[in-house]
Amino acid sequence: MKNPVVLASGTAGYALEMAPLVDLSRLGAVILKSVTVEPGRGNPEPRIWETTGGMLNSIGLENVGVERLVEEVLPALSGLDTVVVASIAGETVRDFAKLASRLEGAGRLAALEVNVSCPNVEKGGIHFGCDEGATATVVQAVRENCSLPLFVKLSSAVSDISRVAEAAARAGTAGLSLINTIPGLAVDPVTRRPRLGAVTGGLSGPAIKPVALKAVWDCYRATSLPIIGGGGVYDAGDAVEFMLAGAAAVSVGTSTFQDPDRAARILEDLPAAIEKAGADGPRRLVGALKVNG
Amino acid sequence: MTETEVATAAALFEATLLGRQDAGATILLEFAAAAGAGPLKAPAPGQFYQVRCDTGKEHLLRRPLSAFGASAGQGGLRLSFMVDVVGWGTRRLSLLEPGDSVGMLGPLGRGFEVAGVRKALLVAGGIGAAPLAYLARELDRSGVTYEFLAGFRTVSGVCPGLDELRGGVSVFTEDGSRGEAGVACDGLPEILRRGFDAAFVCGPQEMMAAAAGLCEGAGIPCQVSLDSRMACGIGACRGCVKEGAGGRSLCVCLEGPVFDSRQVSWKKRTEGSGPALR
Ligand SMILES: Cc1cc2nc3c(=O)[nH]c(=O)nc-3n(C[C@H](O)[C@H](O)[C@H](O)COP(=O)(O)OP(=O)(O)OC[C@H]3O[C@@H](n4cnc5c(N)ncnc54)[C@H](O)[C@@H]3O)c2cc1C
Ligand SMILES: Cc1cc2nc3c(=O)[nH]c(=O)nc-3n(C[C@H](O)[C@H](O)[C@H](O)COP(=O)(O)O)c2cc1C
Ligand code: FES
Repeated sequence: MKNPVVLASGTAGYALEMAPLVDLSRLGAVILKSVTVEPGRGNPEPRIWETTGGMLNSIGLENVGVERLVEEVLPALSGLDTVVVASIAGETVRDFAKLASRLEGAGRLAALEVNVSCPNVEKGGIHFGCDEGATATVVQAVRENCSLPLFVKLSSAVSDISRVAEAAARAGTAGLSLINTIPGLAVDPVTRRPRLGAVTGGLSGPAIKPVALKAVWDCYRATSLPIIGGGGVYDAGDAVEFMLAGAAAVSVGTSTFQDPDRAARILEDLPAAIEKAGADGPRRLVGALKVNG
Repeated sequence: MTETEVATAAALFEATLLGRQDAGATILLEFAAAAGAGPLKAPAPGQFYQVRCDTGKEHLLRRPLSAFGASAGQGGLRLSFMVDVVGWGTRRLSLLEPGDSVGMLGPLGRGFEVAGVRKALLVAGGIGAAPLAYLARELDRSGVTYEFLAGFRTVSGVCPGLDELRGGVSVFTEDGSRGEAGVACDGLPEILRRGFDAAFVCGPQEMMAAAAGLCEGAGIPCQVSLDSRMACGIGACRGCVKEGAGGRSLCVCLEGPVFDSRQVSWKKRTEGSGPALR
């Protein structure tokens, strides 16, 4: 990674959509939309709803499927001077194994993000990430089938995220990615209907930042794994906060909708924000939250 | 791959409000792209912009607005929008003063397909008149004849500039305060007998469904401009996707917002309360 600011999965598509608008080569990495074994159709409309300081989405992992990712998307990305990370999501452990083996040697990828935390699908998704044993089994299955470094993407909507993180660490993940969206519901008080076609969705954006920071802090203390921290990152100050809580890199998702070039701007402002925090580089900040006095 | 292959000439740029005109229930906003925005493509009728309404981080989603007018002259790109105030974002836009600057992303999506059309029928409901008024002016410029049926709730909602159009314009208001009393579709059965190469429709979902049904019944190809909540506007998030005919997914921001009516599934009501496109 050239630098510690990356685009989160699902808000930057397959990077090709963003490429005409944003100079992706400046960013640390782009994490592609999660893919499943078969193409995903996604959830009924409406799929998004704006909330105070964020949004709910229930996209439901609509995606092109791993086959097209390998055959069409990755080759199309060859011209982009950017570190690319694929994200995989399975309904079963076997799915994860299949996805991993299809991406082994597919080229173009620097790492894999393993999404065990999507709140918008009936099977798999967050059901894996809620369970230490299931998370560990998924990590093992992916490792057995793919030699790329793994980042397990966890949900904060569990009783103790640090235990899931520890289980992932024992199973051999290279790092963690935190956090996925938080399950939520929006209601229309006039029609009495949910705002989303799938009824519930996942909350993202600045509204979830404190929850995300705590998740990063908990996992940082519990494991020594490198963490990609995110959830509501909007400016360079936010990025510094995540580093202090223990993130080695930060991901920018929902804020990209307001400004597609937000991550690049954060990167530009980062040196000044790091200096303001009294450090001479991002490394010194990681986990340097002062909790005693 | 269809979603990503579509070449986009969309650009991110700042635009300065030149002037505003309160046109009854709606507001007309005219912007100039800020100097330094570089060469910008003018929008085709039916294309839209993702307009940044918030300067802070409380409202992160841009709001989609169809181009109501555009000119790419010496002073750079000028854009106008007709805005119906329905919520926070549109209210925020309605409070802009000349000189204020707003972030734009566009032009986005696919507009109306007019190639080969020599006689057109335009049908608008409420704020749906915005893209169609732009289309009508472009048809005037290229000498295409058309009939324009435009329906509004009441006189204060009537789209400005309809009087200056060269085509035949019939205005309807639900309360009869201007033009004929009724809705635009009331005029359809009769006018369809005159025969058209294509129909272009934008308005509330039920109105578009009715218009599309009548046009298809008369054997006239019909293009409709769909509404959907949007986040990215560029095909990246899949937030705007609607289920179309035969279960096909329609990515409104990228493959639309204009679709052949036969691709659309009219069965579902998509917005619980959405009053936006009247
Ligand atoms: C391609 C496209 C072109 C459009 N062109 C125009 C235009 O030229 N002029 C214009 O005034 N409006 C246009 N709209 C509709 C406009 O985008 C919405 O009215 C606007 O986003 C509402 O934002 P808000 O913050 O004011 O309302 P919010 O506070 O977000 O919502 C207020 C109410 O509007 C509903 N709503 C929010 N977004 C939408 C939406 N996209 N469609 C339907 N209902 C919605 C909500 O359910 C809520 O009840 C267009 C929409 C699309 C998709
Ligand atoms: C529209 C949308 C789609 C998303 N899709 C995915 C996805 O496919 N895989 C995934 O791991 N996370 C997905 N996410 C979660 C984001 O990657 C991110 O973890 C979360 O939104 C919190 O970060 P943010 O507040 O910066 O957006 C999605 C988020 C949004 C808003
Ligand atoms: S709004 Fe994101 S894909 Fe259409």
